[in-house]
Amino acid sequence: MNRATKLRPSTSEMNYFPDEVIEHIFDFVASHRDRNSISLVNKSWHKIERYSRRQVFIGNCYAISPERLIRRFPCLRSLTLKGKPHFADFNLVPHEWGGFLHPWIDALAKGGVKLEELRLKRMVVSDESLELLSRSFVGFKSLVLVSCDGFTTDGLASIAANCRNLRELDLQENEIDDHRGQWLNCFPDTCTTLVSLNFACLKGEINLSALERLVARSPNLKSLKVNRAVPLDALTRLMSCCASQLVDLGVGCYENNEPEPESFAKLLFAIAKCTSLRSLSGFSEVGPLCLTAFIPISANLTSLNLSYAAEIQGNHLIKFVHFCKRLQRLWILDSIGDKGLEVVASSCKELQELRVFPSDLHDEEDNNNTAVTEVGLVAISAGCPKLHSILYFCKQMTNAALITVAKNCPNFIRFRLCILEPNKPDHITSQSLDEGFGAIVQACKGLRRLSVSGLLTDKVFLYIGMYAEQLEMLSIAFAGDTDKGMLDVLNGCKKLRKLEIRDSPFGNAALLADVGKYETMRSLWMSSCEVTLGGCKRLARNAPWLNVEIINENESGRMERNEEDEREKVDRLYLYRTVVGTRKDAPPCVTIL
Amino acid sequence: MEICNSYSSSSVDSTNPSPSEYSVNLSLSLTFPSTSPQRARKQDWPPIKPRLRDTLKGRRRLLQRDYDTCLFVKVYMEGVPIGRKLDLSTFSGYESLLENLSHMFNTSIICGNHRDRKHHVLTYQDTDGDWMMVGDIPWEMFLETVRRLKITKPERC
Repeated sequence: MNRATKLRPSTSEMNYFPDEVIEHIFDFVASHRDRNSISLVNKSWHKIERYSRRQVFIGNCYAISPERLIRRFPCLRSLTLKGKPHFADFNLVPHEWGGFLHPWIDALAKGGVKLEELRLKRMVVSDESLELLSRSFVGFKSLVLVSCDGFTTDGLASIAANCRNLRELDLQENEIDDHRGQWLNCFPDTCTTLVSLNFACLKGEINLSALERLVARSPNLKSLKVNRAVPLDALTRLMSCCASQLVDLGVGCYENNEPEPESFAKLLFAIAKCTSLRSLSGFSEVGPLCLTAFIPISANLTSLNLSYAAEIQGNHLIKFVHFCKRLQRLWILDSIGDKGLEVVASSCKELQELRVFPSDLHDEEDNNNTAVTEVGLVAISAGCPKLHSILYFCKQMTNAALITVAKNCPNFIRFRLCILEPNKPDHITSQSLDEGFGAIVQACKGLRRLSVSGLLTDKVFLYIGMYAEQLEMLSIAFAGDTDKGMLDVLNGCKKLRKLEIRDSPFGNAALLADVGKYETMRSLWMSSCEVTLGGCKRLARNAPWLNVEIINENESGRMERNEEDEREKVDRLYLYRTVVGTRKDAPPCVTIL
Repeated sequence: MEICNSYSSSSVDSTNPSPSEYSVNLSLSLTFPSTSPQRARKQDWPPIKPRLRDTLKGRRRLLQRDYDTCLFVKVYMEGVPIGRKLDLSTFSGYESLLENLSHMFNTSIICGNHRDRKHHVLTYQDTDGDWMMVGDIPWEMFLETVRRLKITKPERC
């Protein structure tokens, strides 16, 4: 072997190391994609990687079966599963569509997997599944449920009672049937391991003394987010209990009137002790005084979520945000106004992620000066150099503003703009917003996620196809003129994984042009578009490795076979690649072609 | 969904109508989603999650709640060039306002009804730009209409 070969390491040389060494090296590779790549190098690496994989991420629970997953990764400890498509968040997917957790728990339990962490998004979770989960995995530590439904507080009671080593119970935005039971009481006295407890989305009453006792015996508790049933006095006591270690606090609901001076003083005292607090959220049904109470520690905050603080007027929001000099993440309602965003731009120089949500859904309030416009967006882009993710709901936009934003912030990874009125043009020039979004995709070379809105022609999709090279997820609503728009996206965006389209005139020609493209993507959603049943059937025939699902308007009955009209427009189409073929758990309203 | 189905079943040329055609065809009762009652019922636009939607629906009209309105107005004493600023939302009524002003300006100030030659009188400028005597209308209404305050010399009124 000559010198040159010796100096250049190759995999064949690496195979002279024992498996344990290679495995140890793999331990440093955390990202799922990198691990997937490693497993493709050769058979030996595939095997080592399989047995050493601890964390698995499944972006679509129907892409693979639990049994196959466990066969491949028998030593997995942490599983992330996603169920319903994204537009399910906006009532576009029937509840019973699918994404059931139970078969997964069943298989994991039978397969003897030593599961420790489970993260679920948009899955249907039943009390039975939670009970089975709680009894099957001795070392179970962490349960995170995001936008799930199908369970009640009884299921939470099983988790509390049986998971002896529970560290994290994080419930985000779930629809939970609250039986107002005593689930908090079900944590045994011996349970002292809690690090994170979030039940902000629960709607009902809870046992306050049970909560207080639980917090008192949890010396490691760093994150506590309570629901609206925890009044001021109780919250103050809770905070006093774990003030010094609290990093993340979600505030519940105070009394509607201003608090008693004495109670308020106690709250201020407790807040002053929260020197480690970095993240603050909640404040639904809370008056402004209780937000101002947190000003003394506001300079330490890196994350602030006031998107539920619907009762606090803009001026109070502005006053608070002004003090948050270290803020990296801000979620807020548009009642902060353009003026408020200008304050954010001048005060929050570390800001990385901003979400501005609409506060007035039906144009009830005539206060046009309290909503946000392109002015606020431009101010933020100019003032916050580290900004990389934005979700912005607004009433109006201009191309000029978007072009300026693109110039100010070429580092955007996520850019989601939602103009509340569909098809709304540039409010100054009355033109489409093609040029504005075109500027964004051209300048932001690292853009991975994009949502477009307003009046848009096929041109914007030409730009997206041409420039958005790193784009992985695209959301389209009420946009485009012809199939060419969708075709430009499918042909141009090589890294596209998820495409979701609603109310846009794209049809069969675009859907069928490149069937192979869908093998490179996780999923495609099209609702209220121009695709027909015939087109979908043709697609399903040509791509057996895809599940092509039609979700019908009429949720009660399957389509009558002999009455099908191939020219009938499809209400909702959802297709995704899968290695396990047609699923067996689809409800009547879903037809899989 | 009902609205979009009506697009396709109307007599408009169904091959890719452009947005401008939608706006022209209002006579065929095609309406834009955000303002239509059907869309509001469907609750699928704007694209926000159910918890936020519920929070906003349950929200009381902020305009009706006066304790969280910050209402700073300028206050001038006649003859004194430099004015003060006062947050009217911190007062419960005319009495506490007068008490506070009297203390602030170190003189006795009264409302219109009991005026005499000795005391200053409190007046205000309303949203129409007119100068009025303070005290005639209910306190809550006063808060809605007041723009600035002036403490006038007794003889003026």
